[in-house]
Amino acid sequence: MGYKCCWFNPGRNIKECPNIEEGEEYLYSSPRKRLVEKCVYCQSFQEDIAQLPEESPLKKIISILSDEYKEQKGHLQSLSTFLTSKSMEIKFLHELSLVLQTSMELDEVLSVAMTAITSGKGFGMNRAFLLMTDRDRKYLVGHLGVGPRNYEEAWRIWDEVDRSNFSLTELSREFYKTKISSERAKFQDILEKLTISRDLKEHIFNRSLNDRRPILVENASQNPEIDPGLVSTLGVEQFLVMPLISRNRSIGILLADNFVTNKPITPRDMQSLQTFAFPVAFAIERASLYERLNDEVEKQAMANKKLKEQQELIVRMENMAVVGRITSSIAHSIRNPLAAIGGYARSLMKSGDLIDKKEYLEQILKQAKQLDEVLEEVLSYSDSVHPVMDSWDLNHLAASVAADMEERSIEHKLKFVLKLEADLPQTRLDYKQIAYCLKTVISHVTINQPEAGSIAIETCSSGERIWLCVIDKVSSLSEEMKNALMTPFMETATLGQGVGLALCKVILERHGSSFDIEDIPGGGTRYCIILQNLKEGM
Amino acid sequence: MNRILIVDDEASIRLLYSQELMDEGYEVDTAGTISEALGLLSEKSYSVTLLDIKLKNESGLDLLQKLVKERNDMAVILSTAFSCYKDDFSAWLADGYVVKSSDMKELKDEIKRLIERKRAR
Repeated sequence: MGYKCCWFNPGRNIKECPNIEEGEEYLYSSPRKRLVEKCVYCQSFQEDIAQLPEESPLKKIISILSDEYKEQKGHLQSLSTFLTSKSMEIKFLHELSLVLQTSMELDEVLSVAMTAITSGKGFGMNRAFLLMTDRDRKYLVGHLGVGPRNYEEAWRIWDEVDRSNFSLTELSREFYKTKISSERAKFQDILEKLTISRDLKEHIFNRSLNDRRPILVENASQNPEIDPGLVSTLGVEQFLVMPLISRNRSIGILLADNFVTNKPITPRDMQSLQTFAFPVAFAIERASLYERLNDEVEKQAMANKKLKEQQELIVRMENMAVVGRITSSIAHSIRNPLAAIGGYARSLMKSGDLIDKKEYLEQILKQAKQLDEVLEEVLSYSDSVHPVMDSWDLNHLAASVAADMEERSIEHKLKFVLKLEADLPQTRLDYKQIAYCLKTVISHVTINQPEAGSIAIETCSSGERIWLCVIDKVSSLSEEMKNALMTPFMETATLGQGVGLALCKVILERHGSSFDIEDIPGGGTRYCIILQNLKEGM
Repeated sequence: MNRILIVDDEASIRLLYSQELMDEGYEVDTAGTISEALGLLSEKSYSVTLLDIKLKNESGLDLLQKLVKERNDMAVILSTAFSCYKDDFSAWLADGYVVKSSDMKELKDEIKRLIERKRAR
């Protein structure tokens, strides 16, 4: 009987063993390691053991030990593979968690989550959809879809991803920066079809969300519990429904499938995705809350700004009101004696008693009339606190005022150039007050620029605003002069003093509109009445 | 002849208005207070009362309410330095509203209109 194995041929050079490969030279000096790593699998060793006499107990013992050893080793290898895969998964989840934790923007979080689900470097699903519960928690709304729409697109995308060699984080950043909007638009039709009411308790999405458990749907078209419409929309037989829950709050649903490859989704895939779904749900909720918080902060900031403006307006209006009360009181006290002075002058003119002093009487009358007009302007300041609002055509108002002022001007010297926007929307305004403001602005321009020639009146609209502007092409105003014009009785060397434009500003502010004086590049000034495009009932 | 009552606390206005209206051919009486006006109204009948709103410490609007109730055959014109009372509901009871001015044409036209309206009834 001849033994082949080196254990039974002690004189054989061990370095001639065909099972020991390059790099395994350490086995030459360690018989124990050589036995368990090489000999138990060696054909010569097996054959030598088989040659042992049947009555030898060693033969049976060695066979049992050898088989048991091989089985245990196989089991260990399987466990090692499992641990390696879990270790990679933990590493991957850790990386994702880090990104998710640092992302505060909802779209950024969604980009990370959806890329992780659909990327080969992540969970490797072909396609994923996110449905989110709306604010009233009445609907699950299709929010985002990621993946290809057909086979051609799939191969193109995967080829690109392969060649780019991006890490998962880089892929998700790229997706967030360049693709999220187009992906949303690409799947808009499917997202709309996926949207369902939260009241449909038996719908697979609501069941998964309410029961807080993922559902792996198989043979969807044969499954009576699955809505045929959903099967038709997705076009797959197998898909995964993953609920997103954060601290007892239903955030939404993740849908994933292998639409292109039809690779089966395993319970293990489902388990991995479930582990991933927890931090995703939390990150989505946090980002949503952060987004809402930002909205609220923005609203608060706007409200504060408005409040500040209102406070400033109130202070200014209070100041104006004080001036108004004083001027009103003085004006009323003047009106009675003025009516008497003018009235008596007229009586004397009529009687002919002072025919030789007719010019003096005419002067008294002229001055009384002028004072009467000043009084009317000053008294308007305290009149009509509440505008009488109605729908008017601003073009018609501008044309009427221009025609009226042209007719009233001495020898019709005043000429207007009207540039009125066609189809200007009707807006709600107090015709009398706006007409008064326009007249006042025109008077201001003509008084200060008697040689200005024709005056341009323009109307235009943009969004919620309508502009009615008077253009002074000649003179430009300094900031000091603009401020002076907006303050009653503030005097400037060149513009004199008065309440005209300051009164317009108050009237327009009470009216919910505004008044602005702007420089025209290259010279000139634009006086703008800015109205809100208020519709009926607003 | 149509008789007009002028109620105004300003003597200069009373004098001016009465002269101007007498020149127009009206018979005119004047009162500086509400009690004076009520005294005259109890003695005579008038076609038109010209009523100032601010009468020192009294309000012409109070007298207006009384006249509307008791003398609905007589027209009342509010003649005042305040244009803002046009928006006051109680002023709407009057038949006319004229803001005081050195030019009395508007006032005279209003008186004529109301007298013709009364005649046409």
